[in-house]
Amino acid sequence: MLELSIFTILALFMLGGSIAMISNRQTVFSAFGFLVTMIGLAGMFALLNAQFLAIAQILVSVGAVVVLSMLTILTVNAKEENLPKEPDKYKWMLFSSVIVLPFTVLLYKTLSTLPDHFSDIDTISSKVVGKLLFSEWVLPFEILSILLLSAMVGAIVIGRDSKKRKQKPERRRRI
Amino acid sequence: MINLIVILPFFSAFFMALVYLYNTKAKRYVFYTAVGVGTPVVMTILSFMLAYELLNGSQTIHGTLFKWINIGDFDISIAFMADRLSVAMISFITFIGTLIHIYAAGYMKEDDGYGKFFVYFNLFMGSMLLLVLADNPIMMFVGWELVGLCSYLLIGFYHQDAANIKASNKAFILNRVGDFGFIMAISLLFVALGEGGFTFDAIQANIGSVSHEMLTLIGFLLFLGSMGKSAQIPLYVWLPDAMAGPTPVSALIHAATMVTAGVYMVARYSFLYVEVPDVGLFIASIGAASALFAAIIASYQSDIKKILAYSTMSQLGYMFIAVGLGAYSAGIFHVFTHAFFKALLFMGAGAVIIALHHEQNIFKMGGLKKHLKVVYITMFIATLAISGIPPFAGFFSKDAILVAAFASEHYVIWGIATFTTGLTAFYMFRMLFTVFFANKKEVQHLTPIPKSMTQPLIVLAIGSVFAGFLGVNEAYGGSSWINTFLALPDTKLHVSHSSEYMLGALNVILGLMGMGLAYKLFAKETKEPQTNTLLKSIVINKFYVDEIYEFIIIKPLLFLSHLIAKVIDPKIFDGFINLNVWTYRKSGALFGKLQNGKVRYYALYILTGVSAMSFYILIKLGVM
Amino acid sequence: MSPNAFYLLASLLFSIGLVGLVSRKNLFVLYMSIELMLSSVSLILATLSKVLGDAGGSVMSLLIIGVIAAEAAVFLAMIVNLYRAKKTLDSDRFTMLKEGEKND
Repeated sequence: MLELSIFTILALFMLGGSIAMISNRQTVFSAFGFLVTMIGLAGMFALLNAQFLAIAQILVSVGAVVVLSMLTILTVNAKEENLPKEPDKYKWMLFSSVIVLPFTVLLYKTLSTLPDHFSDIDTISSKVVGKLLFSEWVLPFEILSILLLSAMVGAIVIGRDSKKRKQKPERRRRI
Repeated sequence: MINLIVILPFFSAFFMALVYLYNTKAKRYVFYTAVGVGTPVVMTILSFMLAYELLNGSQTIHGTLFKWINIGDFDISIAFMADRLSVAMISFITFIGTLIHIYAAGYMKEDDGYGKFFVYFNLFMGSMLLLVLADNPIMMFVGWELVGLCSYLLIGFYHQDAANIKASNKAFILNRVGDFGFIMAISLLFVALGEGGFTFDAIQANIGSVSHEMLTLIGFLLFLGSMGKSAQIPLYVWLPDAMAGPTPVSALIHAATMVTAGVYMVARYSFLYVEVPDVGLFIASIGAASALFAAIIASYQSDIKKILAYSTMSQLGYMFIAVGLGAYSAGIFHVFTHAFFKALLFMGAGAVIIALHHEQNIFKMGGLKKHLKVVYITMFIATLAISGIPPFAGFFSKDAILVAAFASEHYVIWGIATFTTGLTAFYMFRMLFTVFFANKKEVQHLTPIPKSMTQPLIVLAIGSVFAGFLGVNEAYGGSSWINTFLALPDTKLHVSHSSEYMLGALNVILGLMGMGLAYKLFAKETKEPQTNTLLKSIVINKFYVDEIYEFIIIKPLLFLSHLIAKVIDPKIFDGFINLNVWTYRKSGALFGKLQNGKVRYYALYILTGVSAMSFYILIKLGVM
Repeated sequence: MSPNAFYLLASLLFSIGLVGLVSRKNLFVLYMSIELMLSSVSLILATLSKVLGDAGGSVMSLLIIGVIAAEAAVFLAMIVNLYRAKKTLDSDRFTMLKEGEKND
């Protein structure tokens, strides 16, 4: 009973947050909606006896990703007129939700053919996760680290101010 | 040798054509005359040699050039066959052809297209020989078409005048209408008999295996071709218009040779026609009707060549009466004698026309008896021959035909034919008297006629006199030599000698009556027939047949062509294609809009696809 | 409580993410919708981990979180770059995927 009510509350949080995220005009308010969704997701993980996952979700998704998004949004600091004009936003959303409906139904129906009762399992603590990470899942773990490294390098390269590069050839021409 | 007879004129035509095309302006009079007239002379000699061989008792001579079509078991060779019928035909074709070539050398002397004329003329000789000497129906058809082509080329020889082109088109097109029947007949024959080889000998051997109905159909369709080629009702309207060509053309093609191809064809297929006497009766009826019809029209014509054209049609009718009723030898005999006197008549008419500076209306001529003596005498002999006055050639051949008609007990045909005899004499002598006798106030000075034109007339006149003696039947003391020579499957006749004498006497009396009537009406003074009564205007206007054809056939066809060309083709077919193009353009533009470069839209397309698939799967799962 | 509820939730989140991806032009919203979709998948994995009694599902979710982080870095850097180039956050203005005419 308790579980169900917690689940319901968290689910409402997530749904409300995601809907707010996609329908808001202001970028910052969308980010707030995203934040709420991520926190709700963390709660879901906890409900599923995956404590370490819940904490990791808060640390990374909320603490890193959302913060970074906010930072970028505020750095970009788009003026009101530079925000895209979206006159038919709700029409588009309605139209695409109709299109998406069969897919959603299929997804749910497919998923519901999976076994539908929870098994008794201990909390998946950090000890369990750590053991698995370094025995069965070591390869994806390492690859993930490489991925993070390359993402970091890529982000720096992409985000570099390219105006400096353009100025150099011009200087050479003057001489 | 038999190959040479057919190949030689084609080669000479080709050779002369090359020389002519090299320089169309140069008048190489001597060269063209030498090659153009020399070739028929050589061909005549060769034909006479072939005839001599057959007369001495050898059987049919065959000669093959090469195998033309070879499909599995079926092959057609370009091969020639000289049996008695062919050799009789080629003898007089080449002989009279040579005479007409000599005549043409004189007639066409001043013309610019002298070389071209001899090219076409030799081409025609080759085609006619191909037709007559053919070994199988396909080669005969090739020759048939080629003579039609040469007729077209030669009628439209003076091509600067649009009327001549129309006339030559008319000839060719009407010929083609008949050829439709001919082609169908050959195809049916092939379907019925093709396995055993497709030569005339093979067909003759197997003819019994074809059903009676099929034979009737084939016989009828073959005659359809004859109707076009030999100018019988209803496909005759091209013959009077064909007189627009030069006179030697009329003499050779439309009197002596090409138009007789139809009769030859019936005689060649005699083994088929003896099985289906009903078709034969039909042929004879058409022949009788054409003979009478043409004779009536000829009695009121004013153009000298048109009178002779209708006369040809009438005499062809006689020939068809003969071959229709089973008297094949009589028909071929009449072809033979007719060639002599008709060619003579045409050539004489040509001489008169030249002498009077291309005047062709007989009512503007007159009193030429004294001035054109040779022409007058020869034409007089020919007119006597055509009227059936003994002992000239026409009497024996016409008599043979009329006796056959009487003996076969088709008295209506016999009656029509006999009446037409009198009419023939009447209109032919009308022409003779009007041209040569009637007084004219003034006689303009005449262009002199070269010897090359008058000499052949004399030769032909001799022929008209004596040619008849080849076929005198027993009643008159002869032995029907030509009948025995030709050895065609004639129906046996049982007529007593006294009946023959009476019939013969009847013909002679009618001929003399016609001559006398013409003398009375036309020898003294003449005036052109006026269209003052309704009957006269109908006859003078040739029974308005051309106009009827124009109205019933030509106008609807032209309307249909116009409709298709101007309305259906541009609007419907082009419109349909344009519609297709428009659709493609529009849909292309539409699809082009889908690629607008915006990622959002692309994601939507992917989503739509996935959604459609999942929808389908859901339906399959039975959930939706 | 049954896992079906979790599955339902995850499907709904996924479709909401899809709808947001397709309908909005704002680049940030685009990005966040993608994150949402990824997160819904990790939710399913975590649910399965509990259903099957295997901890591997959680480990997978953990790895997915790592991927999310990497992707965030690259994506946001790219948005900054794009904004610098065109001074707009409108995804419809970037039409270099289109053939033919000059696109600015």
